[in-house]
Amino acid sequence: METAAHVNRDVPDSARTGASAAEAPAPAGGPAQGRRVPWRRWAEIALLAGPGVVVFVTFVIVPVLMAGYYGFFEWSGYGVPTEFVGLRNYELIFTDGAFLEAMWHNGFILVMSLILQGPVAIGIALLLNRRMRGRSLIRVLIFVPYVISEVIVAIGFSLMLHPTGAVNDVLDRIGLGGLALDWLADPDVAIWTLMLILVWKYIGFAVILMLAGLQGIPDELREAAAIDGASYWQTQWHITLPLLGPTIRIWAFLSIIGSLQVFDLVYVIWGQYVADTAGTSTMATYMVANGRISGEYGYGSAVAVVIFLISLVIALVYQRYVLRRDTEGALTEGVA
Amino acid sequence: MMTRRYRSRTLGVLAGTMSAALALSACSTAPEASGYKEGDPYTLTVWTNFTGEAGLAWFDSVAKEFEASHANVTVKAQHIQNEELDGKLQTALNSGDAPSVFMQRGGGKMRDMAKANQLLDLTGSAADSPELREKLGKVSYEALTVDGKLLAAPQLVQPGGIWYSKDLFKQAGITEIPKTVDELAGAIDKLKGAGITPIALGGKDAWPAAHWYYFFALRECSKDTLEATNNSLDFSDPCYEKAAKDVVDLAALKPFNEGFLNTSAQQGASSSAGLLANHKAAMELMGNWEPGVVKDLTPNREPLPDLGWFPFPQVASGKGDAKALMGGKGGFSCSAGAPKKLCGEFLALMNSEKNQESFYTAFGSIPLHADAQDVVKNDYDKQMIDALNEATYVSNFLDTNYGQKVGTVLNQAVIELLTGKTTPAGLVKAITEAAGRN
Repeated sequence: METAAHVNRDVPDSARTGASAAEAPAPAGGPAQGRRVPWRRWAEIALLAGPGVVVFVTFVIVPVLMAGYYGFFEWSGYGVPTEFVGLRNYELIFTDGAFLEAMWHNGFILVMSLILQGPVAIGIALLLNRRMRGRSLIRVLIFVPYVISEVIVAIGFSLMLHPTGAVNDVLDRIGLGGLALDWLADPDVAIWTLMLILVWKYIGFAVILMLAGLQGIPDELREAAAIDGASYWQTQWHITLPLLGPTIRIWAFLSIIGSLQVFDLVYVIWGQYVADTAGTSTMATYMVANGRISGEYGYGSAVAVVIFLISLVIALVYQRYVLRRDTEGALTEGVA
Repeated sequence: MMTRRYRSRTLGVLAGTMSAALALSACSTAPEASGYKEGDPYTLTVWTNFTGEAGLAWFDSVAKEFEASHANVTVKAQHIQNEELDGKLQTALNSGDAPSVFMQRGGGKMRDMAKANQLLDLTGSAADSPELREKLGKVSYEALTVDGKLLAAPQLVQPGGIWYSKDLFKQAGITEIPKTVDELAGAIDKLKGAGITPIALGGKDAWPAAHWYYFFALRECSKDTLEATNNSLDFSDPCYEKAAKDVVDLAALKPFNEGFLNTSAQQGASSSAGLLANHKAAMELMGNWEPGVVKDLTPNREPLPDLGWFPFPQVASGKGDAKALMGGKGGFSCSAGAPKKLCGEFLALMNSEKNQESFYTAFGSIPLHADAQDVVKNDYDKQMIDALNEATYVSNFLDTNYGQKVGTVLNQAVIELLTGKTTPAGLVKAITEAAGRN
């Protein structure tokens, strides 16, 4: 961020003046209005934030608390839970090999998503940031998978990748029958199949984020570097990448959270039972299989709490150690 | 997990005689716990999973008939897509806003609802009349009775067995229907020799694979053992492990369609039912909803003309009776707050001989009511009725009997068995542990 701040000082262009112009009225108008009609401000806050807060509390906070409560019960889901079992559900979760496997799969997806998607997305974004023919068409094509519903993607891939499906058939016909695999059911292959589908599906989102980040990097910097004799790659390495830092960090954060929550694709492609034996189960599919499908809503709630806590801890740690410099920068500027 | 049993065209109907229901309705007008008095305006809400046109028409005619004989009573039905029904119902029951009448799948779920006092005891209601008991059979009532309370009116039975293509059997030179597992193995050999996939299996949904285990257990275990296990969830009898071994032995013949683990049971031409419908596989183990499902998946959406049925073959040295059957047994329940008399009469009317006959026409599921069984036309339906009437014992599907918790673990374990991830002993251990967590 230091670089960025430094850059801002050195570039007294429209961006900077624009920002200060937007900030200017706030100190003057805000408090003055607040003194005269404080209720008005409150009414404004209530009107604008109220609906959001109500929905958030009703559909996020309350269910989270309820799941925490149900997690202490053995409960089939009918009537009011009565059989208090203390921490037994939690003990079971962490001694169940199937959950630990599912957790491992989530970890694998998390790491591989960062490794596979990050560099590729940055590369594509750099490419698409240059003027060339058909640029918007390529942008659209790359973004399309992200827009398609997960269920449609999943059904499409499960039909194509079925052992008797299109992929193996095509391989067979072009003489590469030896490469035909049991893409979905073979435990050695299935997790990679899932990984590839995930990359295909989500790379578009990463690319769009990176492109937006690239747009925020002033051309003057590149021009200056070019004048100083920097090569294309030197420019990217020393100027573009550092300035893209905040975008990359935010993308990684979203990718990590997404990886912890993978559900739909696995659930639709592998169904309620086969994900386990194919080695593609995730914490969320484990929760549904062992909570809703087996009618153990108490246990399922406990699993939900565990997933929530894992996500929360990872998010907080990430925020504390990785994102802080970005947000701090923003705050400092805001206060100043 | 249990949803498939009622897939779209399920249902059978029992017959109770109309006159009995009407006669009963004329009797007492004593107020009930629900506060309803005869003649009061009342809306009877009914939730079903009927979504096909024929089924809706059938229900409407029953509702009209009921309204005509009950002044001021309105029947308000909500027909909910099958897979959505259970979740919605659960929410409605818990929130105290339950429909008066709703479809009941029986087994562990029904026991859970009863435990939470969400069901009306129908004992002594019109749906429990001696005539209906006689016509629908003692067995169907027993399945829906818990601790002496009748918790649902039986409506249908869906016996399972092996559905097969007569043409493909002929093509492979199979002249005799397999009666033993050895003969089944012989048929599998012949089919493979003729280049035909012997058995379609929708392993993705797990229950179709698990059915193979259930049926082997039905043949390996004695009636007494099976019934005792329903209550004790004790799987120590060696027959349970033997049944798992039978599944492994069968799988070793590689009789299933390629990629069966990622094949669903009923969706589209590539599903296991679709394979049977398109002559891509010769057999499938299924409940009696199969002809309806297959019909939707044939190229012209007509019933498969060469579809045949035979009971699950016997295993050598098995302790189970070769004539024992297994199949879904379900009906309709009333919620705890519903008026008992009105509810009972509605259920009795749904099961009148006439309505049970029209139900067969609408849904193609064999009638449970003895007097309605003469409407059956297909060979396989007739065969099934004969098998039912000769059956020494009709078990519900095992996962339904054992409840969702053990049932889900069992289904999962069968998939693991088929992929070699677990052993027969491992399967028994897994379900025993799941039962121990109760």
